Formats: sequence, C-alpha cells, structure tokens
Amino acid sequence: MSHSDLYAEVDRSAYTNALAKNSPITKTFFALSALVIGVSAQSFVVPIVVFILCTCLSLGLAKVKPRLYFGLFVYPTLMLILSCIILALFFGSGQSLIDIPLPWTTWAIYRSGISMSVNTFFRVEGALSCLFFLVLTTSITDLCVLLRRIHMPQVMVEMSMMIYRYIFLFLEITEKMTLAQKLRLRRSGWLSSIRSLAMLVGSLFIRTLDQGERTLVAMTARGYDGDIRILDDFPAPRKIALLGIVFFDALLIVLIFLTLNIGVV
Amino acid sequence: MIFKLENLSHRYSDGTLALSEVSLSFAKGERIALLGTNGSGKTTLLNHLNGILKPSSGNIYFEDKPLAYDAKSLLNLRKKVGFVFQDPNDQLFAPTVKQDVAFGPLNLGQTPEQVKKVVDEALETVGMSEFKEKPPHFLSLGQKKRVALAGVLAMQPEVIIMDEPTSNLDPRGTSEILHLLLRLNKEKGITLLLATHDVDMVPLFANKLYILNKGKLVSEGTPKDLFSDAELIRRVNLRAPRLTHLFEVLKKEDNLPIDEKLPLTIGEARKEILQLLGTQKPEKSVEQ
Repeated sequence: MSHSDLYAEVDRSAYTNALAKNSPITKTFFALSALVIGVSAQSFVVPIVVFILCTCLSLGLAKVKPRLYFGLFVYPTLMLILSCIILALFFGSGQSLIDIPLPWTTWAIYRSGISMSVNTFFRVEGALSCLFFLVLTTSITDLCVLLRRIHMPQVMVEMSMMIYRYIFLFLEITEKMTLAQKLRLRRSGWLSSIRSLAMLVGSLFIRTLDQGERTLVAMTARGYDGDIRILDDFPAPRKIALLGIVFFDALLIVLIFLTLNIGVV
Repeated sequence: MIFKLENLSHRYSDGTLALSEVSLSFAKGERIALLGTNGSGKTTLLNHLNGILKPSSGNIYFEDKPLAYDAKSLLNLRKKVGFVFQDPNDQLFAPTVKQDVAFGPLNLGQTPEQVKKVVDEALETVGMSEFKEKPPHFLSLGQKKRVALAGVLAMQPEVIIMDEPTSNLDPRGTSEILHLLLRLNKEKGITLLLATHDVDMVPLFANKLYILNKGKLVSEGTPKDLFSDAELIRRVNLRAPRLTHLFEVLKKEDNLPIDEKLPLTIGEARKEILQLLGTQKPEKSVEQ
C-alpha cells in the first residue's frame, strides 16, 4: 500500500466501520482512558490487556479489515524495535546481567535495562492500539464537532476541518503533477530529482494559495462571516456504554496495582 | 425586474477592464444564459450579482433597490441569490456532505432542527441523500456538482447563479443537472442565470440569451434570434449549435427553403425536415 492509499483507507474506515454511527464521545472516552491507563502502568501486563481489547474491538466490533489495522502498526513497530534494542543494550544500572569484556572497557547489560525495554515496547504498542482504534472508528467530522463541544479554540477546529478536506485534494494534485513530470521523462539522478521535487513543491504552494482564495470567495457567497458553524447532531452517548467503560477502566487500575512488581527477567 | 444592471463596469486592480458598460435586466422566473468565450467577463459579471465584487462604476438593482454592501444587506442578498461555482472543489470545504450543505443555513442563523430539515430536503432534491455522511473526496465530479447545488438550495434562494454548470461533466451528468435546474425553475419558480460556453446546451435551457464579448454586452434576445444571426455568432468567436449550423449550410449552400429562424433543437429540426419533405407535422414532439 502506498502512503496516500493508506491514508485514504484509514479515512474510508472511519466513515464506513460498524461503529461509525456510535457516539464519538463513547469512542473517544474509551480510547483516551485506556491510553492513559496503559501508558501509566509500570508492568507490561496492563498494556497487553489494553492492546488485546482494542484489537478485539477494532476487528470484532468495528469490523475493520485486519490487513489495514495491523498494517498501521508496521512502521511504528519497526522504529520501536530499534529503540528497544538500544534501551536493552545500553541502559540500566545496578547488578549487571551479562558482562562482555572489550579491550578498552567492559560492556554491561543490566536487568533493569531489559525490563525497561520490554515494558516500553508493550506500553507503546498498547497506546498505538488505542490511537488506531480511535482513528479507524471515528471520522474527523465527528472529532471536530466533539472538539467544538469541549470548547477547543475555534480557530484550531476550523483549521483541522479545512486541512482535512484539502489534504485529499492536494494529494490528488501532487499525484497528478508527479505523473506529469514522469511522463515528460523526469531524470532519475539525485540532483535532478531534487530539482523536480522543488518545482513540484513550489507550484503546489501556489496552488494552495490560489485554492484558499477561491474557497474563501465561495464561502463568502454562502454568508461566511468569519465563523464556521458546524451542525452538531451526533447521537448522545449510551449511558450503559459509558458505565461499561468506567467499570473496565477501574478493573485495569486494579490490575495495575496487582502487577506492580512483575519483572521481566 | 429582479435584477437590473445599469452601465456596469469593472476594472481589476491590475488595470484589466473586465466589464464595460453592461446594462441588462431580468424578471423573476426567467431562465437566462450568459454566453461568451473564456475571458469574456462572464464570471466577473456573475460575481457582481452576489456582492462578491463591487462595480467600478454603474449600478446594480436587486428587487428594484440598489445593492448595499454592509454585512446585513449582503447576508440578505446571499440568502436570496445562490451561487454555484464552476469547480465544486472550491465550494465544498466541509468534511462531510451534510456539514457542507448545512453551512449556508447555519450562517443564516437557523436553528439546528430547521437546518437538518432543509439539508435533508436539499439533498433529496438533488438526489444525493444517500451520500449525506460521506466526505466530498468520495464523490465523482457530477455528484460534487449536485452537492454544491444542494448547498445553495438549502438557503432557499430565489435566484440561482451557476458558472459553467456542465463543464467537465459526462453526457449523463450534463443532462441530469439540466433537468434538475429546469425542474427547480418550474416547480419552485427559481430564477436561473447560467454562464456557459456550451452552445448546444443553451437552447434546451434558456428563454433569454445574453452574449458577452471582451467585457461588453454585444447582444440580447431569444436563443432562436441570436443563433440565427450567423454573422454575430462568428464575430464573437462562438458557434451555433451543431444542428443549427447544419441547417444554415443547407440553406446557404444548397438553397433549401428553410425558415429565417433556424431550428435549435432536435424537435424543431424534426419539424423543419418533415416540412421540407412535404409530410405532415409530427404529432408528438420529442423535444428534450
């Protein structure tokens, strides 16, 4: 999947998944509370539970395609593995687990370093699963209405709305321009590819200014006066769902205390 | 007269004189086509009718009152005069179809319940109800055009102005938009003003035609009168509908006894041909 395809897939999922019609309040509350609890846990147990739960909800309840869901994990996980290797090999203190003698020093690997690395790995994966659950089940429109409800500054909400709308337009334009460059035999050398990219970015920038101007005119024609009003009509959250989430969060917190001292090695 | 323009001129800040001494007027319920080549000043003229541009000189009267440019008068004008832009991507800015159509009515200060109702009605009218919750980038160009029209309809305008309503649409999309517009004119009495260079579309749609050339109004009349004037049409770098052109050639080159007013549509052409063949008039018209 190319990058723009992946974005488009995520976006499509947000509008078409089985939970799309549910209240964004419920979904956001669940994702954020699970995220905070998962990240604050000391051991890897709670993040794993969070991960499993988010995965089950995303795949089972929201019916997100597994290929898309797990596909999202690929790049962050690669980065994460690299960081965790470094954590395990170079961090930690106290009694060393293995000593590797080198001619100029002794390289010590610590128990605490390994445990930090494993905990970090699961914490991040757990947090990612919360985030992906939210982005795959909740549309930007719903999030914008929600942000407006919790009194986020208007300019931020408006910017997010417009950026979201026009990202897709400019992705399309970028693809067309790249293709047009290729068709006119853009050379593949490093220097000339930089030059082609510079031209592309330059003309894209002008296009955005132009688009902004024309959109403003079109909005003015429909009575725009500086405030973008949005229709706030999403369904009220179901009380039972909210209670369920609170109950579940409480269980997770208990689990945090129960697993305080579980070590890795 | 719902709109009256008197000696309207517009000079852009770069010095280009885009409109020069244009005077025209039209009544409620009319279907007007504004015909002209690219750069003839059509869009500039349209932008004046919605208060987006101010004339450099001349006067504009809406419902017999001169246009005022304070915020309240403009909002009132924009409620009554809806503008559908040429490129729907300019117009659709909201993340979903529903939010976009709701934008206008919300600006008019309607309550959420009212807004929901007019949004549903407008989407129903243009046949896009099932796409209500979809973001605009899921839609085809023809669908986007219809949503853009719904966004204007939701404000319940008396006049709808459309810039190139059929540009880049496939034959089916073109025909759908045209029929939709004709229906709005017939059922709701909405006055329509379309800028276009699609000459084949004009006779199907308009009862009145204005021809602009290089910022000047060169002619006005019924499509039949203007398209029969081959010399005028050529001078302003347009062409008559294909059919009309054929009849012009038959008349001039082959000296067939064809009426001074050339046929513009298939129905008229059929009548003319049957007459030439000496057969009776067709019983039923297939026009449009």
